[in-house]
Amino acid sequence: MLPNLFVVCFLQAEVEETLKRIQSQKGVQGIIVVNSEGIPIKSTVDNSTTVQYAGLMHSFIMKARSTVRDIDPQNDLTFLRIRSKKNEIMIAPGKSPSASGFQASC
Amino acid sequence: MSSFTQAGKGKRPSVSLTSKIELNTKRTSISGTSSQRRMSYVSGVNPNRVGSLSRRSILIASDGKNMDKGSLIGSRHTIQVFDEQGKDVTPRPLYRPEPSASIHRQSKILSTQDFSGATGSDFLSSLSMHQTSGVNASLVGPFSRTYGSSSISKSTTSTTESMADEIIEPGSRRDTAISLSEVQVRRDEIKEQLTKEDIDKRVDIYLTETETIWLLDMPTAMMSVESEDAEKVQERNKDYIELCKNRVGNDRFVERMMQTLNGAPKTKEVQCEKILMEDKGIMATSWDLYDSFNALEPTLTSSVTERSSRPTSVSSSKSNVTKDRERTMSTTSTDRESITSSSIIDLESVILARIHEEEKDHSEAILKSEKFQQDLFFMERVLMENVFQPKLAAYRQLPVLIEPVLTSDAGKEKAETEEAEEEEEGGEEEEEEKEKKETVVSSSLLLDLSEAPEEILPPSLERLWSYTCEWTNGHNVSSMAWNKLNPDLLAVGYGQFGFQEQKKGLACCWSLKNPMWPERIYQCDHGVTALDFSLANPNLLAVGTYSGIVAIYNVQTHNTTALLDSSESFDKHIGPVWQLKWIEQDRGTTGDDKGEILISISADGRITKWLIRKGLGCTDLMKLKRTASERKRLTGEKEKKSEALISRQAPGMCFDFHPKNTNIYLAGTEEGHIHKCSCSYNEQFLETYRAHKGPVYKIAWNPFSADMFLSCSADWSIILWRQDSVRPVLTFSSTTNVVHDIMWSPKSAFVFAAVNEGRVEIWDLSVSTLDPLIVTFANPGVKFTTVLFARNTDCILIGDSNGTVSVYELRNMTASDSNKVDALHDIIGSALAS
Repeated sequence: MLPNLFVVCFLQAEVEETLKRIQSQKGVQGIIVVNSEGIPIKSTVDNSTTVQYAGLMHSFIMKARSTVRDIDPQNDLTFLRIRSKKNEIMIAPGKSPSASGFQASC
Repeated sequence: MSSFTQAGKGKRPSVSLTSKIELNTKRTSISGTSSQRRMSYVSGVNPNRVGSLSRRSILIASDGKNMDKGSLIGSRHTIQVFDEQGKDVTPRPLYRPEPSASIHRQSKILSTQDFSGATGSDFLSSLSMHQTSGVNASLVGPFSRTYGSSSISKSTTSTTESMADEIIEPGSRRDTAISLSEVQVRRDEIKEQLTKEDIDKRVDIYLTETETIWLLDMPTAMMSVESEDAEKVQERNKDYIELCKNRVGNDRFVERMMQTLNGAPKTKEVQCEKILMEDKGIMATSWDLYDSFNALEPTLTSSVTERSSRPTSVSSSKSNVTKDRERTMSTTSTDRESITSSSIIDLESVILARIHEEEKDHSEAILKSEKFQQDLFFMERVLMENVFQPKLAAYRQLPVLIEPVLTSDAGKEKAETEEAEEEEEGGEEEEEEKEKKETVVSSSLLLDLSEAPEEILPPSLERLWSYTCEWTNGHNVSSMAWNKLNPDLLAVGYGQFGFQEQKKGLACCWSLKNPMWPERIYQCDHGVTALDFSLANPNLLAVGTYSGIVAIYNVQTHNTTALLDSSESFDKHIGPVWQLKWIEQDRGTTGDDKGEILISISADGRITKWLIRKGLGCTDLMKLKRTASERKRLTGEKEKKSEALISRQAPGMCFDFHPKNTNIYLAGTEEGHIHKCSCSYNEQFLETYRAHKGPVYKIAWNPFSADMFLSCSADWSIILWRQDSVRPVLTFSSTTNVVHDIMWSPKSAFVFAAVNEGRVEIWDLSVSTLDPLIVTFANPGVKFTTVLFARNTDCILIGDSNGTVSVYELRNMTASDSNKVDALHDIIGSALAS
């Protein structure tokens, strides 16, 4: 069992580390991790912003994914980027949780 | 009359009456009295109750007294009942209708009740026949008849007909019937209204036959006498006839009546809670159909195993309890996923109610899932792309996208116009440079901009970014290597050069897409001194360390342990491995040597060839023997006699195989000698080049010219040699620093890069053989240690002693005619001549 445990720890550490690295990137305002139903699991910003983003993004992701898959059902959405004047929202939608980070332009 | 007899058919003839008169009266005025009776009976009883009639008649019958039933009710005048003793036991009528009751209604009732009356008469007539007490069996007949039993269908129809006929008959006789008590009053009343004329009036009665009403039709089935089953059927018929005959007085047949009790209805009210209605809408999208279709197939085969395998990817090491829950979690989540993805229900309320408690565990699972990691990985890369975008674009020699800055509108416009111009001319580099200038130069310098394509800027190195992370800080970059398959993948080895400074080393694989964090980190116990990627298997990375261990890693997996290790090898290196190379050897003679082999040179004076065969096995290609300078090449033995040497071998520092002929290679030693060797001879050198006074750190063949090679050493000099000449062709010494590394440019035959401790120099032989073209100084305190050219772009990577690998772009290098080797020779020739 030991190697497995190790793997878990490692993975967990990696996840945490990666999150930290992303968060510490220049220009990154925050990271929100949501599950498949659109409920935020983890967030580095305050609650109201989290809820707002999660709610808005959820329908958007569904729409985008639906669009992609309607054209070809074997295709799937891999990444979404919304660039606006002031910032950019990046969404990595997965089957399971999706991570979305938003970055301000510098 | 005939109808009555018909009706009376099948009745038991035995009748016992007390008074014959009555019988006679009955018989004779059967219609009249019966009608009377009928009337009386009808009046005497509750109307419309055939059943009650029957009941009453039963009661009457079971009385056991020999009574004329008909005479029981009503007409006292005509009928009187006497028992054996002669007592008058004429029963009195139970029903005494009020005389004030409306006549019309009564008459109507009577008229309507004729039918029932007819039935009643039927009963009565039949009953009159059956007078015996306690014989209920006899009553079956008429009742069954009137109830329409199937056994006597014909008679029922006949009775109905008779009833129909009857109606009219008594109707006419009604008027004439007088002798009734209460009804008689009415009758009389009715009668009074009639006048003589009316009576005498001719009344036309039309008898018509109504339509035949079939109540039951059982057609006979006919069968040929000669058929197989004919006998059976005949037998059955016979049995049936017997049965019918025996039925009449048989004990086996009991007449019985039933009455269903009609329960009194009762209304009951029930109130339930409000039924919640929900509208559900689903949009059937093509992918939804596809998903459902695909989802069916796996579940058909083996749902259990599939479900169990799915969460294992999530985390295989969780305990059983959480695993089960997780399994259900993931399945439910995926199930719900498939539903939610296709429906537009607002799930928030549902979700919050349901999964609230389980969310904590669920989120843990999510955070540990591989998919999440992958998503993060992508996210990181995308972010890096954002952050480093201009630099990466420069690296790729793409036009740099400039973020629209709202302040410098004028500059932007010019950039656009200039861009348009540039596109016509073509040339990506120029365009990119122009754009860069746009951002740098203010908008007022319009003239300059128009002149820009013609202006020649001095070549320079522009720093783009550096590969560094917290792991690598403090380490010395000792070697770098590009991946042969993916030119964006870089392996960097970190290890100290000196003996004193030794500490743990590491080897990292960096990707262009993420300059801030290495893709792989391999930790080694000793400093890494040499690295190379394999060509045949691009995922294999060979790493040589200070302790002499050669390890091979597979960079495809995330596994941080080496695939193969030479620590248990028989003939492993004892000294640090200073260089490693995978060489494509195509020797046709020996089967084993075909393909790729790993060659290493180490400080123990051996050049060894490593083979991957059940672990790492090695054979020596060459032993570098110490050779005394200024003397012919001699074997070590002779030397030994004169000089007491500590070791017979000279530590090898570097080697390089000939680009065209992989049989020949050059090896540099710590003594400063460069030996040209051949793979076929492992005892002797082909040639020795002696010019360096210090250890030769690097040798590089010119990739374009097969004759020339370059060597650098600790004696502050770089020497260009020609293969066939023992004496150096050119010497480059511009600094008083140890030259750690040199490399020819892959694009030009004239250009090479050299790093000494304080600076990096780019030499272009076509421009000058005395001074380097570009010189870039290192930050104070940091020494440059390694250099590497990028294959697919004009960039150069420089590793330093602080663990940073900086990427510099070579700018404004004159587009040299790279393959003009003759020019090189000319230069050399001129140099030699001088």
